[in-house]
Order: sequence, then C-alpha cells, then structure tokens
Amino acid sequence: MTTHLPLNRRQFLATSAAAGIGVLAAPHIARADAATLRITGWGGKWGQTMSSELIPAFEKEFKCKVETDSAFPYLPKLQASPRSAPVYDVLHTNSNEQWAALEMGIVEAKIDAKQVPNIADVYPYAVSDKMVGVCIFTSAIGLGMRTDKGYGKVSSWKDLWDRAYDGVRGGYVIPVNSLGQAFLMMSGALFGNGLTDLDAAYAAMEKLKPIKLVDFTGTMEKMILSGEVGLAVIHDSGILRYDGQNQPTTFVAPSEGVLSLEQVLTLTPGTKVRELANAYVNYMLRPNVQKTLAESVWYSPANSKVKLDDKYNEKLLTTPEKVAKLIQPDWKWYNARKDEIDSRVNRIFRA
Amino acid sequence: MTTAPSTPRLTLRLGRFCYLALNVAVVVFLLAPIAIVFVFALNPTPYIQFPPVGVSLRWFEKFFASRDFMNALWLSLEVAAMTTIAATLFGASAALALARGGLPGSRVITAIMLSPLMLPAILTGLALFQTYVLLDVGRPLWGLVLGHTLVSIPYVVRTTLAVLQNFDTRLEEVARNLGAGPLRTYFEVTLPLTKPGVMAGAVFAFIVSFDQFPVSLFLVSPGRETLPITLFNYLKFDLDGTIGAASVVSILLAVLVVFGLDRTVGLRSYAKL
Amino acid sequence: MNAARAGITPIAWLIAPSALLFALFFFLPMGLMAMISLLTGNPVVQPNVEFTTRYYRRILDDIYYFEVIWTTLRIGLLTTLAALLIGYPLAHWMARIRGRTAYAMLMMAVLTPMLTGIVVRTFAWMALLSDKGAINQALIGLGLISKPLPLMYNEFSIVLGLTHIYVPYMVLTLVGVIGRIDERLEHAAQNLGASPLRAFLEVTLPLSLPGILAGSLLVFALAISAYVTPILMGGFQIMTLPMLIYQQISSSFNVGFAAALGMVLLTISLVLVIAYNRVLGLVSGQRDLQ
Repeated sequence: MTTHLPLNRRQFLATSAAAGIGVLAAPHIARADAATLRITGWGGKWGQTMSSELIPAFEKEFKCKVETDSAFPYLPKLQASPRSAPVYDVLHTNSNEQWAALEMGIVEAKIDAKQVPNIADVYPYAVSDKMVGVCIFTSAIGLGMRTDKGYGKVSSWKDLWDRAYDGVRGGYVIPVNSLGQAFLMMSGALFGNGLTDLDAAYAAMEKLKPIKLVDFTGTMEKMILSGEVGLAVIHDSGILRYDGQNQPTTFVAPSEGVLSLEQVLTLTPGTKVRELANAYVNYMLRPNVQKTLAESVWYSPANSKVKLDDKYNEKLLTTPEKVAKLIQPDWKWYNARKDEIDSRVNRIFRA
Repeated sequence: MTTAPSTPRLTLRLGRFCYLALNVAVVVFLLAPIAIVFVFALNPTPYIQFPPVGVSLRWFEKFFASRDFMNALWLSLEVAAMTTIAATLFGASAALALARGGLPGSRVITAIMLSPLMLPAILTGLALFQTYVLLDVGRPLWGLVLGHTLVSIPYVVRTTLAVLQNFDTRLEEVARNLGAGPLRTYFEVTLPLTKPGVMAGAVFAFIVSFDQFPVSLFLVSPGRETLPITLFNYLKFDLDGTIGAASVVSILLAVLVVFGLDRTVGLRSYAKL
Repeated sequence: MNAARAGITPIAWLIAPSALLFALFFFLPMGLMAMISLLTGNPVVQPNVEFTTRYYRRILDDIYYFEVIWTTLRIGLLTTLAALLIGYPLAHWMARIRGRTAYAMLMMAVLTPMLTGIVVRTFAWMALLSDKGAINQALIGLGLISKPLPLMYNEFSIVLGLTHIYVPYMVLTLVGVIGRIDERLEHAAQNLGASPLRAFLEVTLPLSLPGILAGSLLVFALAISAYVTPILMGGFQIMTLPMLIYQQISSSFNVGFAAALGMVLLTISLVLVIAYNRVLGLVSGQRDLQ
C-alpha cells in the first residue's frame, strides 16, 4: 500500500501563489472604486455606535469606505510605517499619546480650521496649547465607589489613601494608562507643590499600597461592578454608563478638582486623503454626531453648541463654567520624563 | 543469591491508589478552568460572579450574532488551516533533510529551526511588521499566515525528528536491498511510518496558530482580526460571558477535531512516537 | 551499503524551502531588530539614524532590569518544575493505559485546555482565583476563611496559569518517550525482586530522561517568553521581560530599547538551549535534541 503526501507540493505552491496574487491584487481593485479612510477606534459601546450608525452614515455622505483598526496598540504601528504612507489617516487616542506622536513627527500639531469649520464652536480646552489636534470628547477623572459597602462620605482625592480601603483600592498601571499618569501628577499637587512635583507624587504612591492595578478603564469598571474593587480612580463615563441598571456605584468629583481625559483626533502628515480626513474630523464635531456618541457612552462633548437630554446634561460637563474646572496636565512635560517615571513607579509597585 | 523481599500487598495497594489519585487530581486541574468557562458562559450576569445565578444562552446568542466574532472565528480557522498545511510541509521536509540528508552542522541547523520558540513572539511580530513595511506589502493575509507558520514549524520539526531518529533504519535498508531507489524508499517506507510524527506536529501547528496572539497583534489588519485578538480587545471593554461562549464553541470544535483524528489516524499511534 | 552514512544525499535539498523561509522572514526581521537595538531610530522609516549602545548601557546600569530578568527566569524554572512534577505521572499513566477509549479521553483532557485559547483560559483562572471568584467565595461560604485569600495578582497565580497551559506540552512530549520504553523491562526488574517503585526509579525514569529534558526545555522556553498570562494573572505588579518589552513598544514607543531587551532574552534562551544540548548529549549518549 503506497501513501503519498496529502497535497502534491507543486499543487500547493501553485495554489498558494495564485492565492497570494489574488490577495495582493484585491486592494488595488477595491481602491479603484472609492477612497478609503483609515482610522482607529475603541471597542465596546463606542465601537458599536460607530459601526452601526455613524460610520455608515459618513460613508454614504462622503461616498467612501472607512476602515477602523480596533486592535491595540496603534501608535507602534503608526510609528513603524513609512511617513509617506502611514497606516492611519486620522489617529484617535488620548492626549498623552498624541503628544508622544507629535514628538515623533507622525501626527500634525494643529487642525486646519478652514477645512474643519465646526472647530470654531468647541470649548477653549479642546484647542488649548495643551492640546495636539482637536479634542472631540472629554471625561472627568475622579473617584468611583460602591455605595453598598458602608463606606463613609468620600469627597476628596485624599480619601483614597484611607487605610479603610486596603484590599479594595483600585488604580492603574501608570506606564501604560493615561488615567494613571494623570493621577500621578495629581498626587504631586495634593501632597506637594503642584502637578510637576514628582518627589511628592512618588512618596504618595508608596503610601497607596496595597492597591489593585489594571491597565484599562474597562477592566476597572468591571472590577467595581463585581465588588473586587470598592474605591478607585476612574473617569465619570466609566460609572455613568451603567446608569439605569441599578448598580450600587457612584462617581465622586473630588473637591480638589477633576482631570481631563481627552479623546483627541489628529491627522497624519502623509495622509493621501486629506480632504476626507478633515471631513471626518468635522463630522465628529457635528452637534448631532456629538450628541449621539455622548449619550451612548456618557462622554462630555467638546462642541459647545451641543444640546444633550436633561439626564446627561446634569451629570456631564456641558457648560463653560463646568469645563473651566477641568485640569489639563502638561503631557509634553510628562512624556519627556516618561522613561524615568516608568522606572520609578515600576519599582514602587512591584510585589 | 537471595531475592529481595517483595513489597507487601498493602503498600502496593496504597502505592497504586496514590498514583491514581494523583493523576485524577491532575486531570481535574487541567479541566477545572474549562468547567468554569462553561459555567460562566451560561451565567447571565455580565461580570465574574460566584455562585452563578442561573442558566442563560444570551452570551451564545451575542457571540453568534456578533459579526466581529464570527468573522474572527472564521478567519482564525482559515489561517490555522493554511498554517497547518504550510508548517507541515516546510517542517516535515526540513526534518527529513536533517535526519537523513547528512547535512553538515545539522545540530546547529536544528537549533536554528527551533529558535522561533525562544524569542518572545511579540518581537517576532513586530520584526515581521517592519519587514513587510520594508518590502512595501502592507498587512496582507499571507503575511499573517507566514508569521504563524514561522512559529509553528518548530513543533512539526520536533515531532517529526523524534520519529525519524527512533526509526528502525533497517526497514529502509531492507527496502533498498529489495531494489527500491532512495526516492521510492522515502515515499513508500519512511513517509508512512513517519506519519504519526507529522500528524502530531500538524495538530500542534493548528493549535498554536488558532491560539496565537502576540504575532497576530501587529500583523492583523482592520476587519480581519483573529479570534484571540478580538477576544483580548473585547476583554478590555466587556468582561462578560461572551468570551465564555466563544470558548465553549472553540472547545467543542476542538473535541470534534480530536475525535476526527482518532477515527482517521488513531491517536494511539502517538504513543509510539 | 549504508546510505545514511554516505554524506550529503539528495534528500538534503528538502531543507531548501525552510531555509529560504527562515532566511527571508526570520533572519532578516531579527537582523533588523538587532540593528535597531544599536541605532537611535528605525532605519526603515527614519532618515538620520546613528549607531548607539545606550539601550544596552541602560540595561547594564540599572539593577531593576536584572531583577526583571531574574523574575522571568525564576518564573520559567518554577513553571518547568511544576509542569514536570504534574505532567510526568499523567504521561506515564497515558502511555501505559490499556483501552483505546480511555486513551482517547485522556488525550482529550490534555488537548482541550490547549484549544480553549490562551485569553479565555487565563480569564477562567481569574474567575477561579480572584477575590470574588469561585474558590474564595466557596471558602468564605463554608466559613473556612473570613477574608479572601490573595490567590491572584502575584507570582503564584502566574506560575499556576503558566503551568496549566504548558503541562499539555510536557505530557505530549513525555507520552511518546515513555511509550517507547518497553514495559517488559519494568516487569523484568520486578521479577528480579524490585518493588514497582524501585523498578520505576531505576529503569523507567533514567530511560525517559531524554524526554524529560526535551519537555523541560520546551516548557522553559515558552514560559520565559510568555506574555498574555503574566499580564492577566500578575496584576502588573510582577514584571517579566516580555511584559517589559511589550510596555516599551506599546506605551513608551522605545522600539530600540525593546529590541535590546529582546536580544537579551534571545541570548539567554540560546545559551540555555546550548547548555541543555550539552547535558542531553552527555546524559543520553549522543542522541540529538528532539
């Protein structure tokens, strides 16, 4: 009885060559029809709203195709791609990463106001000098807590250091998470002489242990819901989005102030679809688009002309007075020191 | 010469009991998380909670209704199938060459072939991504399959080499003495006897590809993500039972695959690898 | 005539496709990474890059990185030991069991964890070990403890998670080797008066040594380059080299430093493989590494 290889090697090579050519040719064929805009995006509720409503509407209006990359991390891929042919046309990420990207020269510092008219309506913080590109949404970083565990009144950032919360305290891995980084700077302001007082911040971190660390807010949300964590640093959206589900959680805006967690859009200098990219930024700043997204994930819209429903209006930052209280960290300053900060906090928090 | 006294029956019984108990404990250890996954896939609350509050199929509905998950599952299966074929062909031929080819420095070459195992896959993924940029090919599907193949080949080489090296070469000699040329010997004697080794390697290759994460991280393109990537990202935003459902589906598929293998090749042959 | 010892045969050409694949898609990329670890930037996309040793100097200057390397190796060793102690009895049982169905069922038990998926499996451990997870809630419910045990987010849970993933690899490697050991050798020893335990220790165990070493090497190599499990199980308070590399790539955007760390990991692994190969050669008399 003779047995032969399941697939004759020649057949395999021929088939794979054909398949390979097919795969390579496909994008060229697709490109012939419509322009493609490549963006990045979050998953979860944001991703669902975008892919079911907002992106299809954009594609229809501007007769194009939108490709959303939702596989973290984005910046290394952009960093590794050639400047003249970047993998993304519009980068959507938090402020700290946008500043790092600017430093690397892979995003543009400012949005062209002539191409993005809606930018005239945004609050000052969205285009401040602490901002690269334009901020489309923001959230307030504060404290989230359980209401059913008999904790006392929480009103200050310093309550997090109370020994009563040992074992149920939640925080972030500072090297990889912007809430963690913002919180570190805040600790400098709380116990030292400002957001840039790193020595005071490090000392404060030492005293914060034991603490459960996560790398992403989504995970923190779940830890609070399951009771694994009772008091944690989190943005308001992470608590408010469960509104209506009768969860025993609440968000506290500490008396010392809340920090700004910004959703920022920038263009890449090498983008081949500049008009489309600008149109997308403009689209994301439209009041009706802003309203839809803000209400689905409880983000505060950057466009001052947006009118949210009452229940959202109450809790989110939708007036000039409220947004004036947002603390915007100096990410350029932080990023310049990131390596040494990371080394230091990795040491502080190691088991 | 006196024979040593044989062990009393009680000690023998106790020994056997411990042996069995230990092994059963190990099997429980291996399967406990799987059981938890099943429980979680059926528990209606959207976060980790114990004890479970009920039985519900909502996560399965969500999983099958999700276009992202279905696309990812399908892509993972496709990529795993292609990787298995590629890794088996490349790996088995390499192993054959190493075992029978009389190559100089075959030890070094073997170590090199096994080296993708040693490097953190995340560097392999990033390095491949950079290379594709260099070659200006973007992030094509074949690039992903290639990355998976690279990290799967070591397994095929290992298992095939294991068979070839423990082979009774007299069988090949007999064939040649009976007049068969080297090529015919290899196809009609060596290859069939190597089959268990190659198949074991193929199974490994499939598993490694289906479950591959770090290499895929940089090589997947939007809309074409593999299941582990989709699951990992999903975990960031929604820590609910859908991942349990995804897992249960994977397990059932796996059981089918293993059953199929048993029927066709006979798993027992692995024991004589 | 013994063709096997006549030097290079035509069969040797079969190495060509793999050699080509490796050259183009493994050595080229790795060479690129090695280069990047010695340059100020990424030569593929940036124009003016210069030679620099600062990444390697950074590793040598700071004892923290040695701690990270040691943690990685330590976790690798513990995992390998655990996988061996757990996997060997099971492999022995499987290799000797009679009955096709029993064997198939055991094989299923061994293979299924591997096919569950690394993300989900680690997640399942979280469901078991976290404060609100199955084990703690069960123990609290039974009144045996009042506060949850810290089973999660430490080195214990990482080793546990990794062991669980890699025991199948160990078992599958050992099953083949033990299966090939003729049972009659054990019987002969017992007929000569040795207890089953002694027969095992002095006959089976030494003969299975090549398998033990091969399996251990595989598990160790995989454990020190593992990324998903330490991250999900260690709560970020244990830092291993792959985690640090990932952090450097994804959050600090220091590709050069990450590449340098990767080269360090690769060197350590290669040194260990070579050392193992030597020991294996000594122990089993010129048998090639499987």
